[in-house]
Amino acid sequence: MGQTIVFIKDTGLEGDRTKDFYAAFLNLLRENSLEEKAQVVRVADIGIYNQGLVVKFPEKDVTYVKVGEEDLKEVVAKTVKEGKVIDRLLFKEEPKQLRIVLRNCGEIDPENIDEYIAKDGYRALAKVLKDYKPADVIEELKKSGLRGRGGAGFPTWLKWKLTHETQDTQKYMICNADEGDPGAYMDRGVLEGDPHSVLEGLIIAGYTIGASQGYFYVRAEYPLAVERVEKALKQAYDYGFLGKNILGSNFSFDIDIRLGAGAFVCGEETALIASIEGRRGTPRPRPPYPSVKGLWDKPTAINNVETLANIAPIILKGGNWYSSIGTEKSKGTKVFALTGKVKNSGLVEVPMGITLREIVFDIGGGMLSDKGIKAIQTGGPSGGVIPKEYLDTPVDYENLQKLGSIMGSGGMIVMDEDDCMVDIAKFYLGFCVDESCGKCVPCRIGGYQMLSVLNKITESQGQIEDLDKLKRIALAMQKASLCALGQTAANPVISTIRYFEEEYRDHIVNKKCRSHKCKHLLNYNVIQDRCKRCRVCVINCPVNAISGDKEKGFFVDPKTCVRCGKCFEVCKFNAIAKE
Amino acid sequence: MAKIKPADLDRIKAAHQDDGKDWIKVGMSTCGIAAGADKVYEAFVEEIKKRNLDIQIKKCGCQGMCYSEPSVEVRVKGMPDVIYGKVDKEGVMKILDKHVCGNALVKDAIYELRTKR
Repeated sequence: MGQTIVFIKDTGLEGDRTKDFYAAFLNLLRENSLEEKAQVVRVADIGIYNQGLVVKFPEKDVTYVKVGEEDLKEVVAKTVKEGKVIDRLLFKEEPKQLRIVLRNCGEIDPENIDEYIAKDGYRALAKVLKDYKPADVIEELKKSGLRGRGGAGFPTWLKWKLTHETQDTQKYMICNADEGDPGAYMDRGVLEGDPHSVLEGLIIAGYTIGASQGYFYVRAEYPLAVERVEKALKQAYDYGFLGKNILGSNFSFDIDIRLGAGAFVCGEETALIASIEGRRGTPRPRPPYPSVKGLWDKPTAINNVETLANIAPIILKGGNWYSSIGTEKSKGTKVFALTGKVKNSGLVEVPMGITLREIVFDIGGGMLSDKGIKAIQTGGPSGGVIPKEYLDTPVDYENLQKLGSIMGSGGMIVMDEDDCMVDIAKFYLGFCVDESCGKCVPCRIGGYQMLSVLNKITESQGQIEDLDKLKRIALAMQKASLCALGQTAANPVISTIRYFEEEYRDHIVNKKCRSHKCKHLLNYNVIQDRCKRCRVCVINCPVNAISGDKEKGFFVDPKTCVRCGKCFEVCKFNAIAKE
Repeated sequence: MAKIKPADLDRIKAAHQDDGKDWIKVGMSTCGIAAGADKVYEAFVEEIKKRNLDIQIKKCGCQGMCYSEPSVEVRVKGMPDVIYGKVDKEGVMKILDKHVCGNALVKDAIYELRTKR
């Protein structure tokens, strides 16, 4: 005991030499007879990237970066032996992440309400019921600058104010947990990791707008989230945070769960309302907005999971505290689901205004492969791609919109040079075509037509006029669709054309896909110099497109070849070229 | 359970304050379970019982490090809090043998260092 613990990890760009440094460190300890005094631990990830060798003394909260082999001696002699800090090597950066929504995720047992209470849970509710009139809550939220985290960024205080001011005896409060963007799972993380934080926000919202009934609209594809929300509701009823006269006040509020049956469009508020009412989940024209005429024609406010999880901390710490975080127009933090070709995929929560580069390289640990970053997709099927030139853009609602993407609910997919932008556009558009409810023509037919044009392009039948055609249909969809699904479905196409038109032209004019994704534009050939004439490709080709003999060599017949890529996979000598 | 009053919040909070005991926390959200967190949890429960160790085993949600699931946070007195990633049955044994019983952290398995509390 009494050992100093030392964490080491090589985070250099040129290979991981942690083991060498570890051996050197141990040697130095031995030379100085300090083996007993320090415990050196190789770690798999130290949370710092591209900073060379990182040496961390957790008890002292001292972190050294860019430690050279020659510096190690000094580290051992000074810091290990004498406990002195070497200023020259110190790492001074503040942590990039800031956890408000995810404050308890991974900390508490989500199925135990007491653990949530121990983290000051339901204290905001108690405070509101004791000291706040609904107008005070709205005022606090206005100060905070919180905007809806579901995607559009509508000011939360205004939504609540409008619903609060509508006169009616019955109002409803809904939590939208119908998260459906491909690659996005922030809400699932919160509901599974800390359901009470959302529940508390929902109850406060109900009090503020004057609702007596609330609904959790959760997609059925999240069984664990549903289970944990159900448990949370039960515990909240047992404790009296729900039901009649909550915490001894005059306020009574009930919450029920409604499951979404797997339609993406039900994340749209009017479609969601229709779904709860038991009707087919299709949107209707707005206005009237739900704040005036919502569920069962009664005033209704709908907020996203992440928005609601922000409420309790804002009440407890004040709107001014919250608005001190973030940029001028986008306050607070945002949770992103960082996925794709990034080393550390997962949920990250960052203050607004952080750059995309910081998210991908400082938090995400950089790229998974040695292929360079090409673009980042944000906002799911309603968003767009942001090319690498704009990596230093601070992330907020306005900036992302200027770049032709949107904040969206928080999906962030990192793409490298292997990703074909036409293929990406096709994927997202295909998703929206599948999920279009079919009620309005621009979305139903426009989406289908755009998708067939994209299919044509990736199947080597594209014509240069197709680019204009895509833009024209996109405009019609944006202007004339009934809901956001149709209005934004063309965004991935438009933004990829905006930044990667060259790539589209390559597909259309040169019939080439530089990322080798579009199989109709690929040709497989045998590289004769490398071919060992083993015939493995011949045997494995399902359509007998490879012929030849051991003397002349083997050849792929492009007419018979179906571009399945089997030959490429099975060749042990890398003698099949894909171009 | 009787309906609680605002004052009860303090009582519950006080009852759940850190009592200085050692614990192991397994991330049990969809991402963790998909990677095998439930088996890791069971393995811990079984081994702790078998060895009669005085350490609590708890569940929690996703810490956000989905790339290194299943993840396990360990608090042992006198040692820094760390999160082990990509834990499997073998990892469970190592964590118990070394970290919990041997006061030595497991090499090449730590994915996050919690700040000392």
